[in-house]
Amino acid sequence: MDALRLDSAALGYRGHVVLEDVDLALAPGQVLALVGPNGAGKSTLIKSVVGLAEVAAGSVLAPGPIGYVPQSGLVDQDFPVSALQVVLMGRYRRIGWWRPTGRADRQVALDALALVGLAARARDRFGLLSGGQRQRVLVARALVAAPRLLLLDEPFNGVDALSRDAILRVLKAAAADGTAIVISTHNLDLARSHADLVSLLNGRQHAAGPPSSTLTPELLRQAYGGLVTL
Amino acid sequence: MLRALTELLLLAAICGPVSVFVFARRLSFVADALTHTVFPGVVIGFLFGGASGVFLGALAAGLLTAIGLTLLDRLPSDAATAVLLTSMFAVGVALVSRRTSYTSDLTAFLFGRILTVTMSQIVETAVLGVIVLASLAIGGRAFLFRTFDPAGAAAAGYRVARLDLWLNVIVALVVVAAVRAVGTVLVVALLVVPAAAARLVTARVIPMIVVATALTAGAGYLGLWLSWTASVDHGMRVTSASAVVLLLVAAYLVLLPLPSKGRRRDLVA
Repeated sequence: MDALRLDSAALGYRGHVVLEDVDLALAPGQVLALVGPNGAGKSTLIKSVVGLAEVAAGSVLAPGPIGYVPQSGLVDQDFPVSALQVVLMGRYRRIGWWRPTGRADRQVALDALALVGLAARARDRFGLLSGGQRQRVLVARALVAAPRLLLLDEPFNGVDALSRDAILRVLKAAAADGTAIVISTHNLDLARSHADLVSLLNGRQHAAGPPSSTLTPELLRQAYGGLVTL
Repeated sequence: MLRALTELLLLAAICGPVSVFVFARRLSFVADALTHTVFPGVVIGFLFGGASGVFLGALAAGLLTAIGLTLLDRLPSDAATAVLLTSMFAVGVALVSRRTSYTSDLTAFLFGRILTVTMSQIVETAVLGVIVLASLAIGGRAFLFRTFDPAGAAAAGYRVARLDLWLNVIVALVVVAAVRAVGTVLVVALLVVPAAAARLVTARVIPMIVVATALTAGAGYLGLWLSWTASVDHGMRVTSASAVVLLLVAAYLVLLPLPSKGRRRDLVA
């Protein structure tokens, strides 16, 4: 069964379609890179999977559980929570309404922080971490939900090389464990080297398939409107 | 006097934890709005049912406001909300002005009568307190998640609009619980100042709740004592509720210059 499947999907907000003609199927363990210029609909596609954008036509299917990593700049950085508490949020749905947060939940969260190399910062306030470290915490939060599908919205924006490598290492391990991964990115080299599939977007899906057949000069020129140089 | 103190300590136990969520969720405006809309509810309740109608009137107005604000929150502009609130307040004033005991009634509704609090009012406050604290304990984690990262919470499967309504109802219940003791105007202070002051001391949620509750309880005790001493020993009339609030604000001002733990983002870099 596919971890994510879009059939002739048209996506948008409040009746306004941002992205259309999307056909995609992602198997467990596969990595999909969403590539396209700003405003192409990359975030919209990701948001439609978690129910934050509308599916105007066609269908979007993801059996879940889904892990979602928002752009780290979009979360409240002044908020009084520690890195560990942020990671624990990923467990809240499993914990449910009635049961208090237990030692086992805490251990899972600590392990996830260790995985992204931040075990020592567990008690530090989230807002005091660097941009890259915050992004790693949000990745850890997504991982503790044991997702079948992991969605990352521009995870490498404003992220230092150290954090980027840490995130890539964790993602590779998750994919090896059978988690399907969707990453939106501007970085074509990264898409080429790490993705099994690339979806080339700009208002509609221009191409989808392995990097070798999608990241071609011709298709990129189409999607970027001639603004890209290779 | 003992009854007044009991009521204030109960309110401290309720307002301390709730104020932390009001602060974190930046709901100070909702708290303020509720005082405007609960006021006509209080007046109408009083006109129809006397002193016991006040509670029901406040409860109905509070719950309606909680629902209304959750819906209006979806609108792009807050002008409609502001117009609605002002007109509700005006309705309250217009209604109360038809009574002969206009000034003393108005004062009681706006600033409360903590010294004449009855045993049944204390019981009502306690019952509401248990409801408020229990639902805060159940929903606390979800409120935290939703406040910190609404998109993440929605992605995790939480219904954000329902969580918003839930927290607004909790705030409404607190306003209802506190309204007869401290009045509609001063209850905002109890919902906003304790957490703001606590945030100056700590950046963690549980310690913030403890500090906010302790501050409110301390200000309640001192405020009662001060207004009592002022009026009995020195013949000055000081409203107890305003003394409590002024002490809370004083605590906030004293804590303000503290080098707080990462209060501002520009300290971080």
